[in-house]
Amino acid sequence: MRDGEIDDILKKAAQAQPAPDGALLDKIAASIQPNMRPVRPLPPAWVLRFTLMAVCIGIAAAGAAGLGFAGSQAMNSTQKLIFPALIGFITLAAAAWAAETIPGSKRHGAPWNVSCVATFTLFALFRTLFHDHHTEHFVHAGLACLIAGLVNAIPIGLAGWWLLRRGFSVNPKDAAIAAGTLAGLGGILMLELHCPNFQLAHLLVWHTAVVPVSAALAVLLTKLVQVRRAHADAR
Amino acid sequence: MHPDGELETLMVRYQQGDFAAATALVHRLSPQLHRFFAVQFVSRASADDLLQETWLRLHEVRHTYRQGEPVLPWLYAIARHIRVDHYRKAGRTSAREQSLDETPEMPAPRAAPAATLTMEELLAPLPDSQREVVQLLKISGMSLEEVARATSSSVGSVKQKAFRAYEKLRERLGKMGGAS
Repeated sequence: MRDGEIDDILKKAAQAQPAPDGALLDKIAASIQPNMRPVRPLPPAWVLRFTLMAVCIGIAAAGAAGLGFAGSQAMNSTQKLIFPALIGFITLAAAAWAAETIPGSKRHGAPWNVSCVATFTLFALFRTLFHDHHTEHFVHAGLACLIAGLVNAIPIGLAGWWLLRRGFSVNPKDAAIAAGTLAGLGGILMLELHCPNFQLAHLLVWHTAVVPVSAALAVLLTKLVQVRRAHADAR
Repeated sequence: MHPDGELETLMVRYQQGDFAAATALVHRLSPQLHRFFAVQFVSRASADDLLQETWLRLHEVRHTYRQGEPVLPWLYAIARHIRVDHYRKAGRTSAREQSLDETPEMPAPRAAPAATLTMEELLAPLPDSQREVVQLLKISGMSLEEVARATSSSVGSVKQKAFRAYEKLRERLGKMGGAS
Protein backbone atom coordinates (compact mmCIF):
# COMPACT_ATOMS: atom_id res chain seq x y z
CA MET A 1 0.00 0.00 0.00
CA ARG A 2 1.34 3.41 -0.99
CA ASP A 3 1.62 6.43 1.33
CA GLY A 4 -0.99 8.31 -0.74
CA GLU A 5 -3.55 5.55 -0.14
CA ILE A 6 -2.88 5.67 3.61
CA ASP A 7 -3.28 9.46 3.49
CA ASP A 8 -6.69 9.05 1.79
CA ILE A 9 -7.88 6.56 4.42
CA LEU A 10 -6.73 8.89 7.23
CA LYS A 11 -8.46 11.89 5.64
CA LYS A 12 -11.73 9.97 5.20
CA ALA A 13 -11.58 8.83 8.83
CA ALA A 14 -10.88 12.41 9.97
CA GLN A 15 -13.85 13.76 8.01
CA ALA A 16 -16.09 11.15 9.63
CA GLN A 17 -15.12 12.30 13.14
CA PRO A 18 -17.87 14.22 14.93
CA ALA A 19 -17.24 17.95 15.21
CA PRO A 20 -17.78 19.82 18.49
CA ASP A 21 -21.26 21.25 19.00
CA GLY A 22 -21.88 24.76 17.74
CA ALA A 23 -23.36 25.56 21.16
CA LEU A 24 -20.09 24.57 22.82
CA LEU A 25 -18.12 26.86 20.51
CA ASP A 26 -20.50 29.74 21.25
CA LYS A 27 -20.08 29.03 24.97
CA ILE A 28 -16.28 29.12 24.61
CA ALA A 29 -16.41 32.40 22.69
CA ALA A 30 -18.77 33.87 25.31
CA SER A 31 -16.46 32.75 28.14
CA ILE A 32 -13.53 34.78 26.78
CA GLN A 33 -15.58 37.86 25.88
CA PRO A 34 -15.55 39.46 29.38
CA ASN A 35 -11.72 39.53 29.39
CA MET A 36 -11.39 40.78 25.85
CA ARG A 37 -8.87 43.59 25.90
CA PRO A 38 -5.79 44.40 23.82
CA VAL A 39 -2.60 42.69 24.96
CA ARG A 40 1.01 43.62 24.27
CA PRO A 41 2.73 40.75 22.43
CA LEU A 42 6.06 39.42 23.69
CA PRO A 43 9.10 41.11 22.19
CA PRO A 44 10.85 39.26 19.33
CA ALA A 45 12.90 36.22 20.38
CA TRP A 46 16.21 37.91 19.45
CA VAL A 47 15.47 40.77 21.88
CA LEU A 48 14.84 38.27 24.70
CA ARG A 49 18.00 36.33 23.80
CA PHE A 50 20.17 39.43 23.66
CA THR A 51 18.78 40.80 26.95
CA LEU A 52 19.32 37.47 28.71
CA MET A 53 22.91 37.33 27.43
CA ALA A 54 23.58 40.91 28.52
CA VAL A 55 22.12 40.24 31.98
CA CYS A 56 24.15 37.05 32.41
CA ILE A 57 27.44 38.61 31.32
CA GLY A 58 26.74 41.82 33.26
CA ILE A 59 26.00 40.03 36.54
CA ALA A 60 29.04 37.76 36.12
CA ALA A 61 31.28 40.78 35.44
CA ALA A 62 29.78 42.66 38.40
CA GLY A 63 30.40 39.64 40.64
CA ALA A 64 34.01 39.42 39.48
CA ALA A 65 34.45 43.18 39.88
CA GLY A 66 33.39 42.83 43.52
CA LEU A 67 35.89 40.01 44.15
CA GLY A 68 38.67 41.18 41.82
CA PHE A 69 39.81 40.16 38.33
CA ALA A 70 42.77 38.11 39.55
CA GLY A 71 41.88 35.15 37.34
CA SER A 72 41.72 36.88 33.96
CA GLN A 73 44.81 38.95 34.79
CA ALA A 74 46.84 35.82 35.56
CA MET A 75 45.83 33.99 32.36
CA ASN A 76 48.06 33.90 29.29
CA SER A 77 46.58 34.73 25.88
CA THR A 78 45.89 31.07 25.02
CA GLN A 79 44.11 30.42 28.31
CA LYS A 80 41.88 33.43 27.61
CA LEU A 81 40.26 31.32 24.84
CA ILE A 82 37.99 30.06 27.60
CA PHE A 83 36.10 33.40 27.45
CA PRO A 84 34.89 33.24 23.81
CA ALA A 85 33.84 29.64 24.46
CA LEU A 86 31.86 30.73 27.51
CA ILE A 87 30.22 33.60 25.60
CA GLY A 88 29.27 31.14 22.83
CA PHE A 89 27.60 28.77 25.28
CA ILE A 90 25.89 31.68 27.05
CA THR A 91 24.42 32.66 23.65
CA LEU A 92 23.15 29.11 23.10
CA ALA A 93 21.70 28.80 26.60
CA ALA A 94 20.00 32.22 26.36
CA ALA A 95 18.45 31.18 23.03
CA ALA A 96 17.28 27.89 24.56
CA TRP A 97 15.70 29.58 27.58
CA ALA A 98 13.95 32.24 25.47
CA ALA A 99 12.63 29.53 23.11
CA GLU A 100 11.30 27.50 26.06
CA THR A 101 9.11 30.39 27.23
CA ILE A 102 7.46 31.01 23.83
CA PRO A 103 5.11 28.17 22.84
CA GLY A 104 5.77 26.75 19.37
CA SER A 105 9.22 28.32 19.08
CA LYS A 106 11.86 26.93 16.80
CA ARG A 107 14.32 24.92 18.87
CA HIS A 108 17.98 24.52 17.98
CA GLY A 109 18.35 21.53 20.28
CA ALA A 110 16.98 20.33 23.58
CA PRO A 111 18.20 22.39 26.59
CA TRP A 112 19.82 19.33 28.16
CA ASN A 113 21.90 19.01 24.98
CA VAL A 114 23.17 22.56 25.47
CA SER A 115 23.92 21.76 29.12
CA CYS A 116 25.82 18.55 28.32
CA VAL A 117 27.73 19.98 25.35
CA ALA A 118 28.73 23.06 27.39
CA THR A 119 29.88 20.93 30.35
CA PHE A 120 31.94 18.50 28.26
CA THR A 121 33.43 21.18 26.01
CA LEU A 122 34.47 23.31 28.99
CA PHE A 123 35.96 20.18 30.59
CA ALA A 124 37.96 19.50 27.40
CA LEU A 125 39.04 23.15 27.09
CA PHE A 126 40.28 23.29 30.70
CA ARG A 127 42.16 20.03 30.06
CA THR A 128 43.77 21.52 26.94
CA LEU A 129 44.53 25.07 28.10
CA PHE A 130 45.68 24.58 31.70
CA HIS A 131 48.68 22.47 32.69
CA ASP A 132 49.23 22.92 36.43
CA HIS A 133 48.93 19.38 37.77
CA HIS A 134 49.53 20.31 41.42
CA THR A 135 46.64 19.72 43.81
CA GLU A 136 46.44 21.69 47.04
CA HIS A 137 43.39 22.31 49.24
CA PHE A 138 41.36 20.45 46.64
CA VAL A 139 38.09 20.18 48.56
CA HIS A 140 38.35 23.35 50.64
CA ALA A 141 39.27 25.69 47.74
CA GLY A 142 36.99 23.79 45.36
CA LEU A 143 33.89 24.06 47.52
CA ALA A 144 34.52 27.79 47.92
CA CYS A 145 34.58 28.20 44.12
CA LEU A 146 31.52 25.98 43.57
CA ILE A 147 29.54 27.94 46.14
CA ALA A 148 30.72 31.30 44.74
CA GLY A 149 29.73 30.20 41.22
CA LEU A 150 26.30 29.04 42.39
CA VAL A 151 25.72 32.18 44.45
CA ASN A 152 26.53 34.24 41.34
CA ALA A 153 24.10 32.07 39.37
CA ILE A 154 21.16 32.98 41.66
CA PRO A 155 20.77 36.64 40.57
CA ILE A 156 21.18 35.59 36.92
CA GLY A 157 18.37 33.04 37.31
CA LEU A 158 16.15 35.53 39.12
CA ALA A 159 16.79 38.34 36.62
CA GLY A 160 16.13 35.97 33.70
CA TRP A 161 12.93 34.72 35.32
CA TRP A 162 11.78 38.33 35.76
CA LEU A 163 12.61 39.17 32.13
CA LEU A 164 10.69 36.16 30.84
CA ARG A 165 7.84 36.35 33.37
CA ARG A 166 5.26 37.10 30.63
CA GLY A 167 6.25 33.97 28.71
CA PHE A 168 4.56 30.61 29.03
CA SER A 169 6.54 27.40 29.25
CA VAL A 170 4.87 24.28 27.90
CA ASN A 171 7.82 22.17 29.17
CA PRO A 172 8.70 23.55 32.62
CA LYS A 173 11.47 20.98 33.15
CA ASP A 174 13.22 21.93 29.90
CA ALA A 175 12.85 25.61 30.72
CA ALA A 176 14.43 24.93 34.13
CA ILE A 177 17.38 23.12 32.53
CA ALA A 178 17.94 26.04 30.14
CA ALA A 179 17.65 28.56 32.99
CA GLY A 180 20.01 26.61 35.25
CA THR A 181 22.51 26.16 32.43
CA LEU A 182 22.57 29.87 31.60
CA ALA A 183 22.87 30.84 35.26
CA GLY A 184 25.62 28.24 35.78
CA LEU A 185 27.56 29.50 32.76
CA GLY A 186 27.36 33.00 34.25
CA GLY A 187 28.74 31.49 37.47
CA ILE A 188 31.70 29.94 35.61
CA LEU A 189 32.35 33.20 33.75
CA MET A 190 32.59 34.99 37.11
CA LEU A 191 34.96 32.28 38.42
CA GLU A 192 37.23 32.50 35.36
CA LEU A 193 37.42 36.26 35.72
CA HIS A 194 38.11 36.06 39.45
CA CYS A 195 39.73 32.74 40.47
CA PRO A 196 43.54 32.65 40.10
CA ASN A 197 43.72 28.96 41.07
CA PHE A 198 44.73 27.28 37.79
CA GLN A 199 45.30 23.79 39.20
CA LEU A 200 43.87 21.47 36.57
CA ALA A 201 41.96 19.22 38.97
CA HIS A 202 40.38 22.27 40.62
CA LEU A 203 39.18 23.64 37.27
CA LEU A 204 38.01 20.29 35.91
CA VAL A 205 35.97 19.36 38.96
CA TRP A 206 34.83 22.47 40.78
CA HIS A 207 34.54 25.10 38.05
CA THR A 208 32.96 22.77 35.48
CA ALA A 209 30.54 21.43 38.10
CA VAL A 210 28.78 24.80 38.39
CA VAL A 211 26.77 24.22 35.18
CA PRO A 212 25.33 20.74 35.90
CA VAL A 213 24.75 21.53 39.59
CA SER A 214 22.98 24.78 38.71
CA ALA A 215 20.82 23.02 36.08
CA ALA A 216 19.97 20.22 38.54
CA LEU A 217 19.03 22.73 41.27
CA ALA A 218 16.80 24.62 38.81
CA VAL A 219 15.00 21.39 37.85
CA LEU A 220 14.59 20.47 41.53
CA LEU A 221 13.17 23.90 42.34
CA THR A 222 10.72 23.68 39.43
CA LYS A 223 9.64 20.22 40.55
CA LEU A 224 9.02 21.51 44.08
CA VAL A 225 6.92 24.38 42.75
CA GLN A 226 4.92 21.95 40.58
CA VAL A 227 4.30 19.60 43.52
CA ARG A 228 3.13 22.50 45.69
CA ARG A 229 0.80 23.69 42.93
CA ALA A 230 -0.57 20.17 42.48
CA HIS A 231 -1.30 19.96 46.21
CA ALA A 232 -2.95 23.37 46.12
CA ASP A 233 -5.10 22.29 43.12
CA ALA A 234 -6.09 19.08 44.88
CA ARG A 235 -7.41 20.97 47.92
CA MET B 1 -5.39 34.98 1.25
CA HIS B 2 -3.36 31.91 2.24
CA PRO B 3 -5.12 30.08 5.10
CA ASP B 4 -2.06 30.41 7.38
CA GLY B 5 -1.84 34.13 6.60
CA GLU B 6 -5.52 34.48 7.41
CA LEU B 7 -5.00 32.75 10.77
CA GLU B 8 -2.10 35.07 11.56
CA THR B 9 -4.22 38.12 10.72
CA LEU B 10 -7.04 36.85 12.94
CA MET B 11 -4.57 36.14 15.73
CA VAL B 12 -3.12 39.65 15.57
CA ARG B 13 -6.63 41.15 15.65
CA TYR B 14 -7.44 38.87 18.61
CA GLN B 15 -4.41 40.26 20.45
CA GLN B 16 -5.69 43.76 19.67
CA GLY B 17 -8.95 42.93 21.46
CA ASP B 18 -11.18 42.19 18.45
CA PHE B 19 -13.90 39.82 19.72
CA ALA B 20 -15.09 38.99 16.19
CA ALA B 21 -11.58 37.71 15.36
CA ALA B 22 -11.54 35.64 18.57
CA THR B 23 -14.91 34.09 17.70
CA ALA B 24 -13.74 33.36 14.15
CA LEU B 25 -10.63 31.61 15.53
CA VAL B 26 -12.70 29.56 17.99
CA HIS B 27 -15.01 28.36 15.20
CA ARG B 28 -12.19 27.82 12.73
CA LEU B 29 -9.69 25.96 14.94
CA SER B 30 -11.89 24.09 17.42
CA PRO B 31 -12.86 21.18 15.12
CA GLN B 32 -9.22 20.19 14.57
CA LEU B 33 -8.36 20.74 18.23
CA HIS B 34 -11.32 18.57 19.22
CA ARG B 35 -10.07 15.82 16.87
CA PHE B 36 -6.60 16.20 18.38
CA PHE B 37 -8.02 15.37 21.82
CA ALA B 38 -10.56 12.79 20.65
CA VAL B 39 -7.96 10.68 18.89
CA GLN B 40 -6.11 10.16 22.18
CA PHE B 41 -8.85 7.84 23.39
CA VAL B 42 -10.63 10.33 25.58
CA SER B 43 -14.42 10.41 25.75
CA ARG B 44 -16.34 13.06 23.85
CA ALA B 45 -17.15 14.80 27.13
CA SER B 46 -13.45 14.88 28.07
CA ALA B 47 -12.55 16.18 24.61
CA ASP B 48 -15.13 18.96 25.09
CA ASP B 49 -13.65 19.80 28.50
CA LEU B 50 -10.10 19.80 27.12
CA LEU B 51 -11.19 22.04 24.26
CA GLN B 52 -12.70 24.57 26.68
CA GLU B 53 -9.68 24.42 28.96
CA THR B 54 -7.36 24.93 25.98
CA TRP B 55 -9.22 28.04 24.81
CA LEU B 56 -9.17 29.51 28.30
CA ARG B 57 -5.41 28.97 28.46
CA LEU B 58 -4.89 30.27 24.91
CA HIS B 59 -6.80 33.37 25.92
CA GLU B 60 -4.64 33.86 29.04
CA VAL B 61 -1.38 33.56 27.10
CA ARG B 62 -2.45 35.06 23.77
CA HIS B 63 0.28 37.68 24.15
CA THR B 64 2.89 34.92 23.67
CA TYR B 65 1.94 34.60 20.00
CA ARG B 66 4.31 36.68 17.88
CA GLN B 67 3.24 38.26 14.62
CA GLY B 68 4.81 36.63 11.57
CA GLU B 69 5.11 33.24 13.25
CA PRO B 70 2.85 30.32 12.24
CA VAL B 71 -0.25 30.04 14.45
CA LEU B 72 -0.71 26.26 14.47
CA PRO B 73 2.58 25.28 16.22
CA TRP B 74 1.83 27.86 18.95
CA LEU B 75 -1.72 26.56 19.30
CA TYR B 76 -0.79 22.87 19.41
CA ALA B 77 2.15 23.42 21.78
CA ILE B 78 -0.35 24.81 24.30
CA ALA B 79 -2.96 22.12 23.52
CA ARG B 80 -0.36 19.39 24.15
CA HIS B 81 0.51 21.02 27.47
CA ILE B 82 -3.18 21.00 28.48
CA ARG B 83 -3.49 17.35 27.45
CA VAL B 84 -0.41 16.29 29.42
CA ASP B 85 -1.65 18.25 32.42
CA HIS B 86 -5.03 16.55 32.10
CA TYR B 87 -3.40 13.09 32.12
CA ARG B 88 -1.30 14.04 35.12
CA LYS B 89 -4.31 15.29 37.07
CA ALA B 90 -6.39 12.29 36.03
CA GLY B 91 -3.57 9.99 37.14
CA ARG B 92 -3.40 11.65 40.54
CA THR B 93 -7.16 11.54 40.97
CA SER B 94 -7.46 7.89 40.04
CA ALA B 95 -4.52 7.02 42.29
CA ARG B 96 -6.32 8.68 45.20
CA GLU B 97 -9.73 7.22 44.46
CA GLN B 98 -8.91 3.63 43.58
CA SER B 99 -6.18 1.49 42.16
CA LEU B 100 -7.01 0.32 38.70
CA ASP B 101 -5.49 -2.73 37.15
CA GLU B 102 -7.00 -1.93 33.80
CA THR B 103 -5.15 -0.07 31.10
CA PRO B 104 -6.88 2.85 29.36
CA GLU B 105 -9.68 1.68 27.17
CA MET B 106 -8.63 1.42 23.56
CA PRO B 107 -10.90 0.62 20.66
CA ALA B 108 -10.81 -3.08 19.89
CA PRO B 109 -9.69 -3.94 16.37
CA ARG B 110 -12.66 -4.52 14.14
CA ALA B 111 -12.79 -6.91 11.24
CA ALA B 112 -13.94 -4.22 8.83
CA PRO B 113 -12.68 -2.74 5.56
CA ALA B 114 -9.96 -0.17 6.24
CA ALA B 115 -11.96 2.64 4.67
CA THR B 116 -14.73 2.23 7.27
CA LEU B 117 -12.48 2.37 10.35
CA THR B 118 -12.74 5.36 12.66
CA MET B 119 -9.70 7.52 13.27
CA GLU B 120 -9.29 6.06 16.79
CA GLU B 121 -9.37 2.51 15.41
CA LEU B 122 -6.92 3.34 12.65
CA LEU B 123 -4.37 4.91 14.95
CA ALA B 124 -4.89 2.55 17.89
CA PRO B 125 -1.79 0.40 17.25
CA LEU B 126 0.52 3.42 17.25
CA PRO B 127 2.31 4.73 20.34
CA ASP B 128 1.16 8.18 21.55
CA SER B 129 4.08 10.07 20.03
CA GLN B 130 3.62 8.51 16.55
CA ARG B 131 -0.16 8.94 16.68
CA GLU B 132 0.31 12.61 17.49
CA VAL B 133 2.78 13.17 14.65
CA VAL B 134 0.54 11.43 12.08
CA GLN B 135 -2.43 13.46 13.22
CA LEU B 136 -0.63 16.80 13.09
CA LEU B 137 0.98 16.08 9.73
CA LYS B 138 -1.85 14.41 7.88
CA ILE B 139 -5.05 15.60 9.52
CA SER B 140 -4.14 19.09 10.72
CA GLY B 141 -2.05 19.61 7.59
CA MET B 142 1.02 21.00 9.32
CA SER B 143 4.51 20.89 7.81
CA LEU B 144 7.38 18.87 9.32
CA GLU B 145 8.90 22.10 10.64
CA GLU B 146 5.60 23.16 12.24
CA VAL B 147 5.09 19.76 13.87
CA ALA B 148 8.65 19.91 15.22
CA ARG B 149 7.88 23.31 16.76
CA ALA B 150 4.58 22.15 18.24
CA THR B 151 6.07 19.00 19.77
CA SER B 152 9.34 20.63 20.94
CA SER B 153 11.39 18.19 18.89
CA SER B 154 13.57 18.19 15.79
CA VAL B 155 12.45 17.79 12.17
CA GLY B 156 14.52 14.59 12.00
CA SER B 157 12.69 13.11 14.97
CA VAL B 158 9.29 14.01 13.45
CA LYS B 159 10.30 12.39 10.14
CA GLN B 160 11.42 9.25 11.92
CA LYS B 161 8.18 8.98 13.92
CA ALA B 162 6.07 9.53 10.79
CA PHE B 163 8.08 6.91 8.89
CA ARG B 164 7.67 4.33 11.65
CA ALA B 165 3.97 5.13 12.01
CA TYR B 166 3.41 4.65 8.28
CA GLU B 167 5.28 1.34 8.37
CA LYS B 168 2.89 0.11 11.06
CA LEU B 169 -0.19 1.51 9.30
CA ARG B 170 0.91 -0.02 5.99
CA GLU B 171 1.37 -3.40 7.64
CA ARG B 172 -1.99 -3.21 9.40
CA LEU B 173 -3.96 -1.94 6.45
CA GLY B 174 -2.23 -4.43 4.15
CA LYS B 175 -3.44 -7.28 6.36
CA MET B 176 -6.95 -5.89 6.23
CA GLY B 177 -6.97 -5.87 2.46
CA GLY B 178 -6.19 -2.22 1.81
CA ALA B 179 -8.74 0.43 1.15
CA SER B 180 -11.31 -2.01 -0.13
